[in-house]
Amino acid sequence: SAMKKSSSEKRRHVVAWVNKAEWDQVLDYLYSKDPALQRFALQRVSAWRGRYAHNTPVAVDCTADLVRCQVLDRSGQLNGDDLVLLYGAALVRFVNLITERQQGRKARPLRRLAGKLNIPEWVVDLRHDFTHKKLPTLKWCRKGCKVVLEWLQQEYWSRQLGGGADEDWESDSDGEEEDAELKRQESNLLSRQREMEAFKATRDILISYESERYQSLDGPQEDRALAPLADMSWLLGEIKQLSLDSSDLLVDVLLEDGFLVPTVEQLETLGCDPFETPGSSEPRVPQPVLRFWLPLLKMLNSPSFIHLLLEKLFVELKVATAEQTDLRVFYLSAWASEVLLCNSNKFEFRFERKTQKKARMKDRIFMNRIQLRWQQLLSACLDAPCGSTPHLLQLILDDMEHPLPQDTQQKLLQLCSIYTQTPAVEFSLPRDQKHQPIYTLESLHEKRRQQLRHSGERSESSGDLQRMDVLTEKAKVLRGSPWQVCSDKVLWKNFPLGKVPGQSDDPSSLMVETYSAMTVCEQPVEMESSRGQNAPGVPGPARAAEGLIWNQSDVNRLKCGLKLF
Amino acid sequence: MQKNQTLCFRGKCIVTCLYGRVEVMGFTIDEGQKSYPLFSPASHCPLTLRALGHTDYVRDDRTEASNILEDYLSAAASRKKLVKKVTPTSSIILLDPLDTPLTRFLSSFTHLSELFSPPVSELMSTVLDTPLNGLGVIPLASNIEGLKISRSCRDALSTVINACKGDIDGCAVILVYGVKNVGKSTFIRILINTLLNHTSNVDYLEGDLGQTEFTPPGCLCLSTVKEPLLGPPFTHQVTPDHMIYYGQSSCETDLDGYLESLKSLWRRRPQSREIPVIINTMGWVKGFGFQLLVDLIRFLPVTHVVQLSHGVSTQCSSLTPDFLRTAQGYQTHPTTQTALDEFTESHCPPKTYTHLHVQSEFEGVARQGTATHQRSNEHRELLLLGYLSQLQSDDSGPVRPLHTLTPYQVPNTAVALGVIHCEVAPSHMFYAVNASLVGLCCLAEKVTSKGGPVILSQATLCPCVGFGVLRGIDTARGLYFLLTPVDPSVLRKVNCLLLGAISLPSCILTEQPGFESEMPYVTADYSFDLTGAGKIRVFKGLMRPMYQNTHFL
Repeated sequence: SAMKKSSSEKRRHVVAWVNKAEWDQVLDYLYSKDPALQRFALQRVSAWRGRYAHNTPVAVDCTADLVRCQVLDRSGQLNGDDLVLLYGAALVRFVNLITERQQGRKARPLRRLAGKLNIPEWVVDLRHDFTHKKLPTLKWCRKGCKVVLEWLQQEYWSRQLGGGADEDWESDSDGEEEDAELKRQESNLLSRQREMEAFKATRDILISYESERYQSLDGPQEDRALAPLADMSWLLGEIKQLSLDSSDLLVDVLLEDGFLVPTVEQLETLGCDPFETPGSSEPRVPQPVLRFWLPLLKMLNSPSFIHLLLEKLFVELKVATAEQTDLRVFYLSAWASEVLLCNSNKFEFRFERKTQKKARMKDRIFMNRIQLRWQQLLSACLDAPCGSTPHLLQLILDDMEHPLPQDTQQKLLQLCSIYTQTPAVEFSLPRDQKHQPIYTLESLHEKRRQQLRHSGERSESSGDLQRMDVLTEKAKVLRGSPWQVCSDKVLWKNFPLGKVPGQSDDPSSLMVETYSAMTVCEQPVEMESSRGQNAPGVPGPARAAEGLIWNQSDVNRLKCGLKLF
Repeated sequence: MQKNQTLCFRGKCIVTCLYGRVEVMGFTIDEGQKSYPLFSPASHCPLTLRALGHTDYVRDDRTEASNILEDYLSAAASRKKLVKKVTPTSSIILLDPLDTPLTRFLSSFTHLSELFSPPVSELMSTVLDTPLNGLGVIPLASNIEGLKISRSCRDALSTVINACKGDIDGCAVILVYGVKNVGKSTFIRILINTLLNHTSNVDYLEGDLGQTEFTPPGCLCLSTVKEPLLGPPFTHQVTPDHMIYYGQSSCETDLDGYLESLKSLWRRRPQSREIPVIINTMGWVKGFGFQLLVDLIRFLPVTHVVQLSHGVSTQCSSLTPDFLRTAQGYQTHPTTQTALDEFTESHCPPKTYTHLHVQSEFEGVARQGTATHQRSNEHRELLLLGYLSQLQSDDSGPVRPLHTLTPYQVPNTAVALGVIHCEVAPSHMFYAVNASLVGLCCLAEKVTSKGGPVILSQATLCPCVGFGVLRGIDTARGLYFLLTPVDPSVLRKVNCLLLGAISLPSCILTEQPGFESEMPYVTADYSFDLTGAGKIRVFKGLMRPMYQNTHFL
């Protein structure tokens, strides 16, 4: 069935550029060979570093450092020796940082790592010269810089933002990624193949079971449901073994169409009307279908199997509801209901006659109460809302070992019936609560309309009004300061963070044309100058008892505090 | 609960002690005391409620309990059933579901929807199917130890408590240090809670930039603690008395700035205050980090120094008064006999204080958590989300995403803009700060513009009153739009916005509902598979070939 989720939605990541246009502009300018444009791009990358904090992509950092060398080189302001040192730092950082991700748990030679990445060997040698040998010549520096920038453009910039898989900045994946990835794929393939084979084998056994049962249907009436036929015991043994080895798989196959969920043809063969049942809010499995499967289920009724079956029934129910396959929805919920009913100890059965009881027991999958993980079933049930959910929910709630408080049960059931839009369910509630209305969306709407009419409010809900009050109050407090509560008539919910009304998508829209630079005296922090005895510059009372009286920064502070008339 | 019975759990609830006495994280709750919120998310060690039983006097337990319960249990039958189990040492607690703007805000993000559920490692130990599950509490089986308080920890706590009760003159000043992940902040929470059993206030000086207790990360602050800390830091974000935005989650870039900030915060504390002070420090106990500790002990009038360590080896030298005499600090130096020192010593005798050693024994000590929600960057993200949850209104309506809120506005000529952690060209400044987290600061100088926005040529460490999200910039009108939970009466005074290396949690940007396609600073097309696409990767414990097959393995 269509169990696989389409992974069409790619993960979103936060990046430093506002949009693709800004990225394209920076890329263009970095590789423009025009020092003015390159400088512009470098300044923008400095802003990106501000946004990224410690998460700037290594390739962006390295590109910027190398372009900076080129710009300074072309400016003609530095001499050759200066430049060699600059190039050296940028190239060493490039080789080390870019190969870092290739490192495994053990340190490996840079040459090998760089080779894997298609970085020319002589670039690695150049790095080695910088760190351990005589400084290379400026000519080699320039050549190295040029080649590495080309490499970065090819391997990173031109391939980026064109789609790809996702891995997070934060996730610390291990090195040896490629090898591991290959191995993973291989073993995935192998295990999938094994899975397919097991699946097919399970299917075959269950089909044999079915054909055995159909054959026995033609036999005498009495045998149909009772003691499994002798020749079936071998088959049942097989299935039992299967359930021990891989109960997961067995349940999966059982819940495929054509097994516990019968096809139309199967239903007709069993003498059931396939179009009669669906839509019921309290579904039960038709007796012929139930009896058809009883021999198998009775043999498999261990608590863990029953629990697994229930869980998977709900999982499949969720899928089926979404796909609106009515027959499937009906049978899945009917089986869930059947299993849950086996577990219940409803006292209405206490006074039945022996023959009644015997008849009832005959059609039960198991006799003794099973301790299920009710909390999990509760979530599974609520996770698969459909028309019969209130009924199933009721069965679970009734059967819990430690029942939820009455009012919680009631609320859950009410919420559930609202959500699934089913008609009122009968709750097992105290009498006085029984007459409380069951809310539906319509009734809530109506109630709300009435309330609004009563309070005389027209357009705005009370929550909005309350918020308006809060904003007015805030505005009042801010009066006289440059701060205000924004009073523009803006529907802020239409503007994501970082965007304001009227802002263009042009990547230059946030440039600051003119600005006032402000220099604050490099002084140690002084809080609001309310404390009279603590004039700036005078050491506080908690002065160090040992060591120097004034350190360098104290002296700076003193200097700052000095006023010369 | 019977005496010494415990309830270790995941989830959240409000606890009220109806009868008897219980203890959580060192804090005792007596019957009749007010209710407290408890938070036990998967990100931290689970909380344990322990029944202490009532104090010694004799009482008619059953009738009294029955009377108390009348208000809470209307059904006489169940009340009777419960009262039957009450003995003189029993405690009865009431757990209510807890639903706050914080929890609602956090659960609105997909990756945090299971934050208050047990982590995978505890799934086998969860006790499901109890009436508690319905109200948001999932008990853990006894094989989960919860917080283990070692013998040395108990001893240290009682020494400090006794000191605060009056064994020393003035107030106790307790500095806590130890290597990263050794449990400093957990120890401090227990210490503060224990102190709050005896005193109504405790002062707290924050010195750990990465794992802050009351503020977003990257801040140093001085706080007065009045309420017990019954959950991890992100559940009790409060406005401190004084705060400085340092702008980084570690202090190595500016050691002087770090020390100066702490000194200046200390000077803000009224010297006459007679309540205990707890000082938390960075988990950096090597090299310069150790020297900073030496400085702090010299600068601040500490009475107790608590060293936390784990395992057999202590991770650094013990900072005893003896050791301090000869220790090299970053700003201070060991005493040498000079005229000057004799002069100072006549005023202040050599430092004496009590050095206490605590052996940390909790599970996972000294290991950085690797499970979901337990990594330190996730903790920092939670701190910020905890802070930003204050933007949600108290009414229990649906969560309102940040971008839907009405912002404040301020002319860019009236507030200065600066970057703490790196250099950004002024003309490109808006590209760095738009849709970023900024510290709201107060410069002593007046901010005036000779035209255009005011840009700080060099950011300084200055008083910070809180944080905001620079929601957008209107370049045409020269306005900043800002979202902040800071009270407007305080916001009035803010004249400087500082950008630091503390970024907005990515989910704030990526999970803005209502936008199908383009959102600023968000893309689904960035590939991390390309070489160089990730951040600088720091290898911890990379093995060089020569160390192979030795003790590192």
